[in-house]
Parts: sequence; structure tokens; C-alpha cells
Amino acid sequence: MFLSFKTYLVERSGISDLEFQSLHPYLKEKEIPKGTILLQKRAVCTHSFFVESGLLRSYSIDQSGKEHVIQFAPEGWIITDRSSVFFNEPSDYYIEAIEPSTVIYFSNDFIRKASEISAAFRNYNERLLQNHIRQLQHRIQFLLEATAEERYLDFISIYPDLLLRVPQWMIASYLGITPESLSRVRKELAKRHFSPRN
Amino acid sequence: MKTKTVERVYAPITPHFVGDGFRVHNFIPSAYQLDMQRMDPFIMLDYNSKHYFSATDSPRGVGVHPHRGFETVTIAYKGKIAHHDSAGNNGVIGEGDVQWMTAASGILHKEYHEREFSKNGGEFQMVQLWVNLPAAYKMSAPKYQEVTNNTIKKVELPDNNGSIEIISGEYDGNKGTAQTFTPIHLHNVKLNKGGKAAFNFPAHYNTAMLVVEGEVSVNDGEIVKTDHFVLMDNKGEHFEIKATTNAIVLLLSGEPINEPIAAHGPFVMNSKEELIQAFEDFNTGKFGYLED
Repeated sequence: MFLSFKTYLVERSGISDLEFQSLHPYLKEKEIPKGTILLQKRAVCTHSFFVESGLLRSYSIDQSGKEHVIQFAPEGWIITDRSSVFFNEPSDYYIEAIEPSTVIYFSNDFIRKASEISAAFRNYNERLLQNHIRQLQHRIQFLLEATAEERYLDFISIYPDLLLRVPQWMIASYLGITPESLSRVRKELAKRHFSPRN
Repeated sequence: MKTKTVERVYAPITPHFVGDGFRVHNFIPSAYQLDMQRMDPFIMLDYNSKHYFSATDSPRGVGVHPHRGFETVTIAYKGKIAHHDSAGNNGVIGEGDVQWMTAASGILHKEYHEREFSKNGGEFQMVQLWVNLPAAYKMSAPKYQEVTNNTIKKVELPDNNGSIEIISGEYDGNKGTAQTFTPIHLHNVKLNKGGKAAFNFPAHYNTAMLVVEGEVSVNDGEIVKTDHFVLMDNKGEHFEIKATTNAIVLLLSGEPINEPIAAHGPFVMNSKEELIQAFEDFNTGKFGYLED
């Protein structure tokens, strides 16, 4: 049970097999169809989601009804609204499955319990949090100052296979550019890198 | 000479849509024991069994996507398919035609029902087969062989048994039309009711048939119905099919390439590193650009 989540945690955090086993009661595995909403805006986010297979995204909707993608979470990623979970306050985001997915749901109790029984996990969770802040800072900086092409190149280094899985408008939304700009960037790159040989 | 016997007959599984234009039953690689290694050099076979598509002004199909490391062979039985690629090629695969596209180092393309066909609606039936390339040719230049029906080598069988269209490979000393990188026999066997045809392939060639029309018996035994797929064993060489009704059978037999296969979506390479490179090249525009 929870095989890939277990591999993920054991490998990265150094928690032992036995310790992980004792945490089973705090985990739920669910198979969810495409389109499933895991978190609604204004609801308190009670769980974090580890993606065993499939693809989730978090996004907000502005007053004009436009969606803004905050994060994608393919296989092996964790997605949640961390502050909503921690501060027990309503979320500004939605989390949705954009492919049929298998997801591990874990609550704050899991993190609390794991931190109690494993010093290795405690260190790992701290590192995860610091890394999360680093990613957020990086994302803010890119949204403020990077060109459309720089944002796109950054995106493909983080998510190498998403271009094949996600509609263009969603990627453009994540990048904070229009779908037309995204096409332009890709066309420009192709002009520089493509040499037809037939 | 030993008889090649039926290993297993497969009923078509529940179809799924590729884009909105191709309603396909997958046989290779998802059916039991029809994985890429077992069927080498055939790595994918999608079959759109006869399906009526209603008239529409916006052609159904599948949008821009890449391929690298193999060839796609599209065989149109009913309906017409239009295609465009990132090197500026485009064309129409008409009824009875075959398009043999060597994606090799990489191509972006899109495939749609042809405009006129879409406007009128109609029956659509096709096969898309993916043929693997040996490592030495995976990064060769992409190319097309438009094998229109009038260029396909046809052999009439004696005694009004029927005829054989040799798309590639060889039948009874007659050479097929398409060039292949490894030995591949790909034939449309068209038999009249009661008609028979005999075949002979080396035992180690992976050999299978898809009955696209009518019904046949194999070696005077197993009956294979319309839309069913039959896998032959690798012990014998010789077998015979006989039509119990007028029938069309797509026959494939190929020499295994016997190299490691690393496959992810539209990329089929030899190693994980090459797959990662394929994603990177696709992301950075090395496959070109094509508008959806």
C-alpha cells in the first residue's frame, strides 16, 4: 500500500519502513477521475496531496472569471494550500485533477505524527518548507521580471513532459502570458533550433 | 517445413478516442502478451473499426504532436485523412492508400479527417501501426512514402481465390512497394468467399493478422471474426488462411530488432537518456513548429 509515496518518503526523508508503516492510519489513497475538485475556494484545505499517477493543478479564478494556474503536480509531486492547512483558514485556490489520477491524501496529523516519531522526517519537512519558499520566491521574481521566453524555458526545466499533457492556454496561464505569446515563443525557438532535413 | 499455428485470438477491446477523430481499439502494446518486446518490431497497433462519423464543418482529428524513433504506418480502409507536418509537408491519405511516415529524428504533425469527408460524414475505418527503427536509424532524417493504392503491388491469386496487396516485403517472389529499414512483410490479403492463401515466414519473425472485413479460418481450424486480431506462434513457418466469407486481412510479419526499448508517449528510443533528450528537443523547438 502507498508504495510510491513510501518509496518517495523513505528515499528522501530517511524515515524507516517500520516508521512509515505506523503512519498508515493517517493516509488515504484515492483514484479520482479527471475533473475532480480536491479543494474549493473559501474551504479550509485539510489535506496535502501526493500524486502517485496522473496530474493535478492548483489555480485561482479572478473577478472576471479568468483562471490563473499556480502550480502543476505530476507524478511524484505534492500539492496543497500549505498556509490554509497550517493556519486553518479558507483557501484562495482550487485544486483539480486534470488527468485521471491516483492520489495519497495526508493531513496535518500525518506530518505531526511523522515529526514526532522520526527526527529524519522532521529535518526533511523543514527542508521541504524551505524549498517551497525558495520556489515561491523564484516564481515571484520570474513573474515580475522574466521575459516570456525565459519563463517558458524555466517551465520546461521544471516540467519536462507537461507540454504534451496540458493544453497551451493552461501553460500560458501558469506563465502569466497570453496563449498568443506562448505560441510566439515556441515559434521563435523552433526558428532558431529546427533544421528540416527532408 | 513446420506449420505456424495460432497462439491466441484477440477480440477488440473497448475503443477509446485519440483526439476526437479516431475511435480505436488498441491491440499492440496493451493487450495481453502483445507488448512491444513480444511484437518487436511492431510497437503499436490502433484499429479504428468501421465507425460512422456524422457530418461536421470542423474536421475531427488529433492536434499537433511529435514522434521520434520509429515509423507510423497509416492504412485507410474507409474515409480519408489529411495530414500536415512541421517540415511543411501535407497530403491526404485516401481509401486504400497507405502512408509510411519515417518520424526518425523527429517530426511534429497533425492528422484530421479530410475536409470534404468531414462535411459529408461517413464510414471511417483505418489502422495505425508503429514500426520501430533500429538504433542506427532512430536519428536519421524524417521521410514519407505516400503509398497510394494505384502504386501498391498487387498479386492475383489463382482460381479466383482473391488477391494480395503487398504494401511492403514480399509475397511469392513479388516485391512490395514501401521500403523498410528491417525486413517487414505488410500485406492486405483480399479473399473471395472460400478463397485461400498460403504464407511462409521465418519462425522467429513476429507474425499477426487483423481481420478488417469478413471472417477467415487459419490452418483449417481456428475461426477469426471481423475486427479480431490473431497472433501466430514463433515455432513454425508455414500457414494458410481461408475465407469463410469475402474477407480482408491485414497481415504483418517482421524480423525482431532485438534492441532495448525505452518508450514514453510519442517517443520510442533505446534508453532513458535518449527519452529525456527527446522531451528536451521537443520542448525547445528542435522538432519545428506547427500551428494547431
